[in-house]
Amino acid sequence: MLRIRALAHRYPQHARAALDGIDLDIPSGCLFGLLGPNGAGKTTLISLVAGLLAPQSGSLEVDGEPLTAYRRSHPNAIALVPQDYAFYPMLTVAENLRFFAGVQGLGGRVQRARVARALAAAQLEGVAGQLAGELSGGLRRRLNLAIGLLGEPRILLLDEPTVGVDPQSRAFLLDTIRALADDGRSVIYTSHYMDEVQALCERIAILDLGRVLAQGTLHELLREGAASLVLRLARPLPEPCAATLRARHPELLLSDAELRLPALPADALPALLAELAAAGSPAEAVSYGQQNLETLFMRLTRRSLRD
Amino acid sequence: MNATRLLALWKKESLALLRDRHGLAALFLMPMIFILVMSLALRDAFDVSAASDIGYVIVDLDASPASARYAERLRALLTFRDRGTLPDETAAHGALSRGELGFALVLPAGFAAAQPDGAAARGERPALRLLVDPVVPQALQTAFRLHAEAELGRLQTEALLRRLGRTLMIPELQALDPAAHGLPLETVAVRAGGGAAPVPTSVQQSVPAWLIFSMFFVVIPLAAVFIAERQHGTLQRLASQQVPFGLILAGKLLPFFVVNQIQAVLMVLVGRYLVPLAGGEALVLPSGGGTLAALWLVSAAVSVAAVCWALLIASLTRTTEQATVIGGVGNILMGALGGIMVPAFFMPDFMQQLARFSPMSWALDGFHRVLLHHGGIAQVLPPAAALLCFGLAALGAAILMNLRARRASPR
Repeated sequence: MLRIRALAHRYPQHARAALDGIDLDIPSGCLFGLLGPNGAGKTTLISLVAGLLAPQSGSLEVDGEPLTAYRRSHPNAIALVPQDYAFYPMLTVAENLRFFAGVQGLGGRVQRARVARALAAAQLEGVAGQLAGELSGGLRRRLNLAIGLLGEPRILLLDEPTVGVDPQSRAFLLDTIRALADDGRSVIYTSHYMDEVQALCERIAILDLGRVLAQGTLHELLREGAASLVLRLARPLPEPCAATLRARHPELLLSDAELRLPALPADALPALLAELAAAGSPAEAVSYGQQNLETLFMRLTRRSLRD
Repeated sequence: MNATRLLALWKKESLALLRDRHGLAALFLMPMIFILVMSLALRDAFDVSAASDIGYVIVDLDASPASARYAERLRALLTFRDRGTLPDETAAHGALSRGELGFALVLPAGFAAAQPDGAAARGERPALRLLVDPVVPQALQTAFRLHAEAELGRLQTEALLRRLGRTLMIPELQALDPAAHGLPLETVAVRAGGGAAPVPTSVQQSVPAWLIFSMFFVVIPLAAVFIAERQHGTLQRLASQQVPFGLILAGKLLPFFVVNQIQAVLMVLVGRYLVPLAGGEALVLPSGGGTLAALWLVSAAVSVAAVCWALLIASLTRTTEQATVIGGVGNILMGALGGIMVPAFFMPDFMQQLARFSPMSWALDGFHRVLLHHGGIAQVLPPAAALLCFGLAALGAAILMNLRARRASPR
């Protein structure tokens, strides 16, 4: 298990901390989704787990052992699959895999076996002799992932591994990632595709401004907002009625013909619908007690643009 | 484990270099063309006595047997291009101002009469006038003037002897040829170990300078490869795989050292075989195992310094444009300061002191110790050691820069 406690990090010459006291528990064999808008601290967190940054304060432990000591004793146990196509376009697929196996200290028979296994896992056998620079977007993503599997890591860090691929390649990548977790590996997965994270990850943490806003299983997170109401109105609400509602529900969100209330008791719903109809803006569509990850994410992180 | 990692890095770098055909052409052809062009362009830059394409005419306003004899003997002596005669000084002025000539020597009317055996030997002394194109280097102007004065002195000595012979009625004195009593002057280049040899050609002096300059330009391709790795995220991936940055640099050091050495060999071969085909003088390599070993030691030390300097520039810069500007301008400054473009002995005193701080000047010193002094390992050790120390310092600085950059940002 990866256990993170009070983790903080501040880059030199930056007024705000990139991470400001993060606590997370990532069980073994768990597919863990890490969500957050740009600048939330995801890359910093992944960089700290991957060993690209030295921890400044707080602790990172794997199975009770400090991360730095764990990385020393298990050099290939944590692998990062970056968002960039981090391989050499002038080398073939097989040459890239052999190179990245070699720099992890894997040689001879072990290297051949690992390269074969990575090729098979990403179904790249057919293009093993092709230059990596000539691969399609989907094949590049699969090679990027295959390189991450060479060290047979226990913890795999995937930074937006499906950006820019077609639906078929995406489905294949998601199946492969699911199989890795089934194999007992912990997968930390960042993505901006909420449907992907919702379909794939068992546990999720939402980060913003260096803090964890929410974490838990998908079921736990979605249940938290179960009493929220979303209405699509036939026409925008007249201002006097909108003012009355705002006074009664300060958390009300109104935009054009959409009305959102984060928390409304069920027995208050019929009266509200009648009030809106009387004001000339009857509800055309009602969503109550249901939300998806995207609505939760937007509610927690606000809607303002970050960069 | 580190051996497996290093082998993987070397293999990758070699494959990447071999697959980049345009890059290879640039790496090997450009320095060869450069050394050929620079050798031919500068073949006479150090040698004022070498045959020159600068033309000259003699304007003989005296039209006497004495002036004709002087003109004929001067033509035999001068190594400038003889462009014949012109009828008067105005025509010479025109040709010089149009850039058709470098010099015009005007022999004034009364030249013969003013000689020691002439009719007006004690009368007015008409001046010879040397008209020059101002773009002709001062050293060449001086060379022409010295030749003209020396020949005039010889002519006048002969005339004086003839006049004395006639006056004193001594036939032997009249028949005396001062040239027969001249003593030859030999120029001897002093070599290490007390040996001596003919003076080396200008190619021997200029080829090593441009060889060093080209070798340091390995900074451009190396930085381009390195920056591409950083931008593609491969360096980040290698760091996450716990590949030490020093090992990544070592992975580049050997392949680019080999590339740099091949560049050096090709450039020496161009100096040895292609430059003479194109009309220049051939680069003469010293013979003997010790001297050749010393030559390789200097060349290897230059490669280590150049590749490590390139690694430092690649670590300091973030884009290929930055690397090209900083690396390129850095090389030009090092070259200008180190006596590559202008030999240090032409520089004023304080600049000569400054030149000692340029690694290119240490490299030039090393090559001159072998190619000009035919020195062995012991003679080239000081400059080679200085270059190796410079390389190690640059490598250390590159590693430190990377550590600092990683603290500031994971990328």
